Amino acid sequence: MPKDTITFWSLTRGFRRRYAAALAALLVSSVLLYLVPLIPQVVIDGVLDPDQAARPSVFVRLLVPAMGGAEYLAGALWVPGLVVASLSILAGAFTYLRGRWSAQASEGMVLQLRDRVYDRLQHLPCDYFDGHETGDLVQRCTSDVDTIRMFLANQMVEVGRACLLLLLPVPLMLLIDPWMTLAAVVTIPFITAFSLLFFKKVRSLFRLKDEAEGRMTSAIQENLSGVRVVRAFARQEYEVEQFDVRNTTHRDLDYQLYSLMARFWSISDLMCMLQKAIVVGVGIILLVNGGLEIGSFYFFITAVTMFIWPVRQMGRILSDLGRATVAFDRIREILAVPVESMSDPIRHAEPVGSGIVFEGVTFSHRASSPVLHDVGFSVEPGETLAIVGPSGCGKSTIVNLLLRLYDYDTGSIRLGDDELRDLGRKRIRARVAVVLQEPFLFSKTLRENILLASPSAAEHEMHEATAAAEIHDSILSFEHGYETAVGERGVTLSGGQRQRVALARALLQVPDILVLDDALSAVDTETESLILEALRRRHHRQTTIVIAHRIATLMHADRILVMDGGRIVQHGTHDELVAVEGLYRRLWAIQSPAGKEASDG
Amino acid sequence: MDDLTVKEHELPQRIDARLWRRIFGHARPYRGSMIGLAVSGIGMAGMDTLMPLITGLVIDSIVDRRGGEEVMLWWLLYLVVIVATCIIVWCFIMLAGRVSTGVAYDLRTRSFGRLQELSFSWFDTRPQGWILSRLTSDCMKVSSLMPWFMLDLFWGTSFIGGIMLAMFLLNWKLALAVLCIVPLLAGTTFYFQHKILRSSRMMRRTNSLITANFSESISGIRTTKTLVREAENLEEFQELSRDMHDWSLRNSLQSAVYLPMVLSIGSIGVGVALWRGGIDVQVGGLTLGMLIAFMQYAVNFFMPIQELARRFTDLQAAQAAAERVQDLLDTEPAIRDSAEVQELVRLAAINEPGAPEGWDGGDRRIERVEFRGVGFSYVEGEPVLEGFDLDIRSGQSIALVGATGGGKSTIANILCRFYEPTSGGVYINGVEYRRRSLHWLRSNLGVVLQVPHLFAGTIRQNIAYGRKGAGSTAVEDAARQVDAHEFIMGLERGYDTEVGEGGSLLSTGQRQLVSLARAVLADPQIFVMDEATSSVDTETEQQIQRGIEAVLEGRISVIIAHRLSTVRHADRILVVDRGQIIESGTHEELLEAQGRYFQLYTRQFATP
Repeated sequence: MPKDTITFWSLTRGFRRRYAAALAALLVSSVLLYLVPLIPQVVIDGVLDPDQAARPSVFVRLLVPAMGGAEYLAGALWVPGLVVASLSILAGAFTYLRGRWSAQASEGMVLQLRDRVYDRLQHLPCDYFDGHETGDLVQRCTSDVDTIRMFLANQMVEVGRACLLLLLPVPLMLLIDPWMTLAAVVTIPFITAFSLLFFKKVRSLFRLKDEAEGRMTSAIQENLSGVRVVRAFARQEYEVEQFDVRNTTHRDLDYQLYSLMARFWSISDLMCMLQKAIVVGVGIILLVNGGLEIGSFYFFITAVTMFIWPVRQMGRILSDLGRATVAFDRIREILAVPVESMSDPIRHAEPVGSGIVFEGVTFSHRASSPVLHDVGFSVEPGETLAIVGPSGCGKSTIVNLLLRLYDYDTGSIRLGDDELRDLGRKRIRARVAVVLQEPFLFSKTLRENILLASPSAAEHEMHEATAAAEIHDSILSFEHGYETAVGERGVTLSGGQRQRVALARALLQVPDILVLDDALSAVDTETESLILEALRRRHHRQTTIVIAHRIATLMHADRILVMDGGRIVQHGTHDELVAVEGLYRRLWAIQSPAGKEASDG
Repeated sequence: MDDLTVKEHELPQRIDARLWRRIFGHARPYRGSMIGLAVSGIGMAGMDTLMPLITGLVIDSIVDRRGGEEVMLWWLLYLVVIVATCIIVWCFIMLAGRVSTGVAYDLRTRSFGRLQELSFSWFDTRPQGWILSRLTSDCMKVSSLMPWFMLDLFWGTSFIGGIMLAMFLLNWKLALAVLCIVPLLAGTTFYFQHKILRSSRMMRRTNSLITANFSESISGIRTTKTLVREAENLEEFQELSRDMHDWSLRNSLQSAVYLPMVLSIGSIGVGVALWRGGIDVQVGGLTLGMLIAFMQYAVNFFMPIQELARRFTDLQAAQAAAERVQDLLDTEPAIRDSAEVQELVRLAAINEPGAPEGWDGGDRRIERVEFRGVGFSYVEGEPVLEGFDLDIRSGQSIALVGATGGGKSTIANILCRFYEPTSGGVYINGVEYRRRSLHWLRSNLGVVLQVPHLFAGTIRQNIAYGRKGAGSTAVEDAARQVDAHEFIMGLERGYDTEVGEGGSLLSTGQRQLVSLARAVLADPQIFVMDEATSSVDTETEQQIQRGIEAVLEGRISVIIAHRLSTVRHADRILVVDRGQIIESGTHEELLEAQGRYFQLYTRQFATP
């Protein structure tokens, strides 16, 4: 299990050497890159200038002899030409290595981070998900991770590059001419400050635009999902008007963004080019007064051109740094949530029994008022227990506790002879199969979805399960049968079909305990009774818990619990319960013709 | 659908000129700005060509020791060029903004309008996210590409032309020597731009798969936990995550190779210029300043080539998006008023100015609705209805019962003209409904759907949706009629309670009641209800039932029932199976007949 908190530094573990190598390559390539304009400089000053330089710079004195001396070079100008080309190519090679190593390091780090977040997410307790919106979590796991990826892969190296490009030429320039050096860096603080301010401002405008875009998108989305309502009430014109308002707002904000951009790029361009103009201007004065050589002048112009544009990017990088920090914090929050433990606290060798006993169980979500009050009941192995009651009465909570999706506060739940708390979550869940009211199917084929929990099941076993769930024939009626894909890219199943697929999936597990949590609500009554008959006929009689609203679904259970407001208000068999005044009889009266007559008469 | 989604991620081999001509046609209202962009591009290229030349001239006048005045003149010229450049930059960004935001707005408005007309069969076969992306990202891609393509096309070609012109004028032999690098530069650039584009698309594609996987894992977390699938899910995810890693690494490596390569090629040009040009300087065929200008040109040459390559790959990249946008605009709605009906509506509006919107001058009261030999199939060759007949008079209520997939909902959809019959026809007061105005028919319909859909907003707004311009009192009256007033007032903010996206903040039962109130407010002549109270507990269902009865009073009503307890009071119950009416009569009559209805009715409580 990874440590609970991570720092940015711990994230780089295993990749630090790569990063160091990338930095070294960056240093080499930047040095080489500055050497390139030095060559023409010394050639111009030392060889080509008709009236040879009066005060040759250090480089002229060093490099000209290195290339064979002024006289030799005058006759062999291909030598400096070749040196320029080879230095550039060498610089290119190191630039490539820098890119390669930093990409490997950053992508590797992100790969680890992504997998870790995913793994973590799957093991978070259910109540974490109750408190967080899916969209927000998905965004953290995807765009926040991507923000970090971009920062690691591009900006981090870019910061280093900008600094090096700026710092490296300073000693070189100082060696050539201190006044020119001052002239070459004078606008840098202004450009940096300007771009920093701009990117701060643009960020807030971007946020506004994104929000406007979000509102526009949700207008379209609402229109699409409500398309039947729109048509049914003939309100298309109204919809178009509504959309137009949002479309216009978005356009106007987008245009504002463009005009902000226009101001930034033109003004920063002006500042950068002014920097060059200052170098040229001061250079001219020095040249005319004989204080500067033409070659050195060329070098300064080239150097300024090289470092001034990265300086302009600094503002952007710094503001991206802020974004990456926020993204990293958001991810760290997920990684810091304690996971539910999957290991077995007590290592029993024998299988978990299938009898269930609840004794004095009280449970509340977080700090709110309890959803279960002192609930107690028992189910013998092989029995069927039905639970009925109005929405929100705590029926599903019983199932959630049984699966240890939540942990109970007080009381005792026993599975077989063991206290539930002492059994590993994995072992419990492997023996209990649940079908939910709104079952979740993965975007895979139907076969894959059904075989999800029992991948080794034989074809005929799968068919038996789907036949019992009354879905086999429906599946065969699809063009691709069991290979039909589910979800966005494939067929859209109706609620009832999804419920039946999920039921087949559960039956195939051959569980000790089967829980149907309002799992047949969208199936028509006739099909439902076929399914219930099939369940009763199954030779493997698992312990079954059925939660439903329809009396017809649960009237044949061995025992029925009637719940209201988190308490068990009645229990008994169907016949016992209809014989007494109470919630059950009222429900029965509303739903059945016989019941109606009974209560009327 | 599969091939459509796959196509998005493959690059077209060729640029479809016909398509792009049509797409660029959407910029016609911004013709002035587009021309401005072209002019800016040329102007910018001029400035970019002048810059090294001026630097060279400065140096030359210093070398010649022609005194400070001339040099300062050049320097001032340099300042002018700088200022001009910045003004041009400002202009073209503003112009690009005007074109891109304007075209995006126009495309979205037209696409949205088109969506309001397309028939349900079109929506049925397309996932919502797919339609959504046409109006959002596709429109954005297409519209933001246009101005920049225009600008860079003119800037790039004129800059290349400008550099070549300047070089040849200065020294044509040296120009030829330096220009040797151009084919190499162009080849490398186009090759890598294409590769980088491809890998970045694969990255985006993998990224969207990762997003989908994450959101699936989160929404399916309970299922995963109960099936103990964590390890397998992680394995599947790791595969995707690894793919993402590989593609983004490949993408980074391609960029890491590309830029040093073009710069190196450029430096070969500089080397050649230094070597051959140096010799010329020695013999006096070239000034020192012009040599320096030459070297600058050699360094800069890759820039216009790179931009041009980028814009053309952009075009390739956006081609699929452009196709989708254009395709949506070109789709003709399958269900719309015929030319004749449109003419009638136009005349009716002139002849009777006070008449309701969209009225076609025909009967206003609906006395009788008939299905005459209606046949229908969603997929050709698989008929859902065949020769279906039905006759409903004003004030009657009809209930349709039967097994799922028997065609009940199809009948309701055809009645609402959400789909049109493939054979036979539906007659209103004896007139085929395709000869009446669609708007008129729908204005007289009240529909409550199986899944009650509410829009994000308050309860009041949702009920008011039923009738244009409905006031507060009307809204509350409607709510009272369906017994919804009480529960609404019980909410903390009453009618101003937000319902959330799709109504998710209300329970299913509450959503049903709000949608019933909405239908009552519409005061329709025909009321259609696709009843599904399955997910509601029994007592809430009772409440809804009372609401429904209030709605049905004195209208033609068609109810699709899933639970038989709700249809007992219908004037006529039709048992529908495989697109045919197999039994028809009142509740009592049908029970007495002991047929299919009797079977269905007793089955719910059958003992094994």
